[in-house]
Order: sequence, then C-alpha cells, then structure tokens
Amino acid sequence: MNFNKIFDATTKLALGITCVFLVGLIIALYAYTGVGEVASALFAPETIFAIELSLFTATVATALSIAISIPTAYALSRSNFRGKTIVDSLLTLPVVLPPVALGAMLLIFFTTPVGSTIESVFIKFTFQIPGIILAQLVVVSAFTIRILKSAFDDMDPEYEQVARTLGYGKFKTFYKVTLPICKNSLVAAAVLAWAKAIGEFGATVTLAGATRMKTETLPIAIFLNLARADVAQVAALILILIGIGLSAIYFFQKVCGSYRIW
Amino acid sequence: MVRIENLSLNLGEFKLRNVSLEIQKGEYIGLLGPTGCGKTSLLKCIAGIHNPLKGRIWLNGEEVTHWPPEKRKVGYVPQDYKLFPHLTVEENIAFGLRNRAFSADWVKELMELVGVSRISKKRCVKNLSGGEKQRVALARALAIRPKLLLLDEPLGAVDSVTNLKLRKEIKRIHDQTKATTIHVTHDFEEIVGLADKVAIMQDGRIVEFEEPRKLLKRTRSKFLAEFIRARA
Repeated sequence: MNFNKIFDATTKLALGITCVFLVGLIIALYAYTGVGEVASALFAPETIFAIELSLFTATVATALSIAISIPTAYALSRSNFRGKTIVDSLLTLPVVLPPVALGAMLLIFFTTPVGSTIESVFIKFTFQIPGIILAQLVVVSAFTIRILKSAFDDMDPEYEQVARTLGYGKFKTFYKVTLPICKNSLVAAAVLAWAKAIGEFGATVTLAGATRMKTETLPIAIFLNLARADVAQVAALILILIGIGLSAIYFFQKVCGSYRIW
Repeated sequence: MVRIENLSLNLGEFKLRNVSLEIQKGEYIGLLGPTGCGKTSLLKCIAGIHNPLKGRIWLNGEEVTHWPPEKRKVGYVPQDYKLFPHLTVEENIAFGLRNRAFSADWVKELMELVGVSRISKKRCVKNLSGGEKQRVALARALAIRPKLLLLDEPLGAVDSVTNLKLRKEIKRIHDQTKATTIHVTHDFEEIVGLADKVAIMQDGRIVEFEEPRKLLKRTRSKFLAEFIRARA
C-alpha cells in the first residue's frame, strides 16, 4: 500500500470537501434569490444606505486603526520593558473576546462619569454613527497591531541602524526606511481591517444599536431583515457582503502572498 | 583619530569588558576574533548604535560617547550589507546625502571608485550579486565622506574568488580615500595584507594590538597561537 498516495488523496479530499461546502452555500443563496431579486435588493434605498454607511464607517475605522496601530506596534516591537508580555496580551484581548462583549464593555464605559463627560462634551457614540466607527475600530485594531508588530519584528533593525549612521534621525529613519520596507504588511493590515470592519456586527449592534436607516450597516441590515423574515433580501445582502469580502481577501493574497499574522 | 577608553557593554550574549584602543588617522585596523567575542558590538558602540555601560569614545579629538549615530559621521557597512531593498543602486548610494540635486556627480564618482560603474544606476538592489552588493554598500558608506569607516565582515558573504578580488579593491579604495578604517573579520588571512595593525579580541577584551607580521612572529598567548593557526 502506498501511504504517500493515500496521504495526498486524503489532504486533497479534505480541500475538495471544504471548497464544495462553501461553494454550495453560495449557490444555495443565489438559487434562493435569483438575479432579479438580487438586482432589486441591490437598488433598494435601504440596501444603498447600508452599503454607503458600511463603506464609510469601515474606511474611517480602518484609517484610524492604522494610524493608532503603526506607533503602537512599533513601540511594542522595538522596546524592551518590564511587563511587555502583559501589555502584548492586553492588546491581543479584542482578538479572543467576543465582539458583543467588546460592545457591551464600550456601552458600560459610556455610562461611567468619564464616558458620559466624553459624550456630553465631545461626541456622542451610543446609538450613533460614531459608535459604529468606535466599535469597528476596537475590534479591528487588535488585528492591525498584530500584523504590523509581526512585520516590524521580521524587519532586521540593522536597516534602521545603517540609516542612522547615514545621518537620519529616528523619525526620518522610520519614515524613509521602516515604513517602505514594511509597505506590504501595511497594505495587508489595512485590507484585512477594512474587510473585518465591513462585516463587524456584535460590537456594533451592542453600542450603536440596530436602527433602520440610521445605524444600519450591511450586517445589521441582514439582522433586521432576518428578524422580519425577508429571506430574499437577506440572501441578496449576504451576496453583496461575499462580493466585498472575496475582493478584499483576493487583494490581500495578491499583495502579501503567504504573509503570516502570528 | 579614534580613542576608546575602558569601554564596557552588556548585551546578554555579547559583552565588552574594559576595551581600550587608539587608532591613528588613515590607519587600517583589523579587528579579529572568534564568533561572539564582541567584535560587532565594539563596532556598533563606535558607530553610536549601542550605548556603552561605561567608558568613553573620542573621534577626531571630540568625545562622542553619548552622541546619536546620525551625528558621528561614521560610515558603517554591516554584515550582509543591508542595502535598502525599496531603493535603486543610485538611491542607496545617495541615501546619506543631504542635497540630492548636487549629488549625481559624486554618486557617479563613487560608483567608479568601488567598481560598479557598469551596472545601471536604476537597477533594483535585490538583483545584484554578492560582490556588487558589497561594493554598493561600501559606496553608500563612503558617500557621506566619513571620518571613520567601519566594515563588519565585509567579505563574509562572497565566494573565495570574489573575496580575493574584493580584498584588492578595498586596499585600492583605502589607498585612494585614506579613510581610517576598522575591518571586522574572523579570518586572519583576509586581514593580513590589508591592515596596518590587528586587534585580537577574546571574550569581550582586546588581548593583542599589533602589526600583523609581528603578530605572526610573536604569538604571545596560547589562544592567539591557536586562533591564527586555525585560520591561517
């Protein structure tokens, strides 16, 4: 008996079954709705609102997440301090916590005196669009920090050391050497963050609520339509999300190849 | 030109213990020793990359112990050269030049000096051979007209034929530029024809500092005799 051939056949069979299962789910969605219903769902005012809101909030959350994650990940990668492992674990917490728990934590925070002051003096988050952005930001930042930290860890610090000897200060070295060398990871982090933010539901619904045509992102639109048993609309919205998600993942893989997150 | 006084450093695995050294202007110094003895750490202390625990460093009569690397004007060629992968040959060489507009002629001159004038200035550095990378890294370090040139195992990543060729090139470049140079290696044979003096390091200390010919004749310590015999 040729065990090599059996091993090859088994792994390929597992790959085939997984792919067939996922493709089967997509086909079932499409068969349930059909072209007409997808088109009519796509151009419905509620869908257009959900798409626009999702694109806007995900883009802002991604931009904020990258802006916060770059210095955070760099400090975590390059500095050595007591309690670094604890800080690293703390920053990874949003990856392991359910999004709904994160949303609940944010909601509770805004009932505290500090949270209430922020809302009354600066900007209102609970049950508002900024709340969607904040919820997405908290969920995706843990991922962008991990990706960027991994990129900074992988980059040999001697590149930076050489730049310093050539007359560049720390900031200019970071801007002219570190960021360009880690460019692919930066793009990867942004694409993954954006795709994750588009699909974020748990934290968003807890902090911003599910109000039709107000805080209705694509996942919330699915939730609301499912609640009123409009399965055709749900299927159409899921197909839209699949299209956005697949495009983002394809772009990620094209840019980053076999990039590792952990 | 370079004066190091009682320099100590502790990087866990790598240590320097009371290293003292004095190098005259224009001298070519070989820094020789086994892997892990502290050669690269010493070089990085001189470049300002590592901060010593104690001791002092002078360059051209100025104490630079706590100066950041960007203020020291020291040319540094690390192991594996570390050419910036996102830049072309020309951009790598001109990286340290403040005014790029007036640097084209100087870059051309440097490319001729290090023997890479035949390769395209616009070429991506990822596609260069080991020897070409070494030469471009040398040109990049020389571009800032350094007071001191630090070469960390500059011939470690090339084949034996290229190694021999590059040794002659480095000698010629040193004769032309007269730049004070410290060349780190673990190969006595590599440094013997290049260096005016050789410093031998063992366990974070300099145990010998002498002209290479004298060192060959007079092997003071058992360690040195064994080390040179093993490498020569």
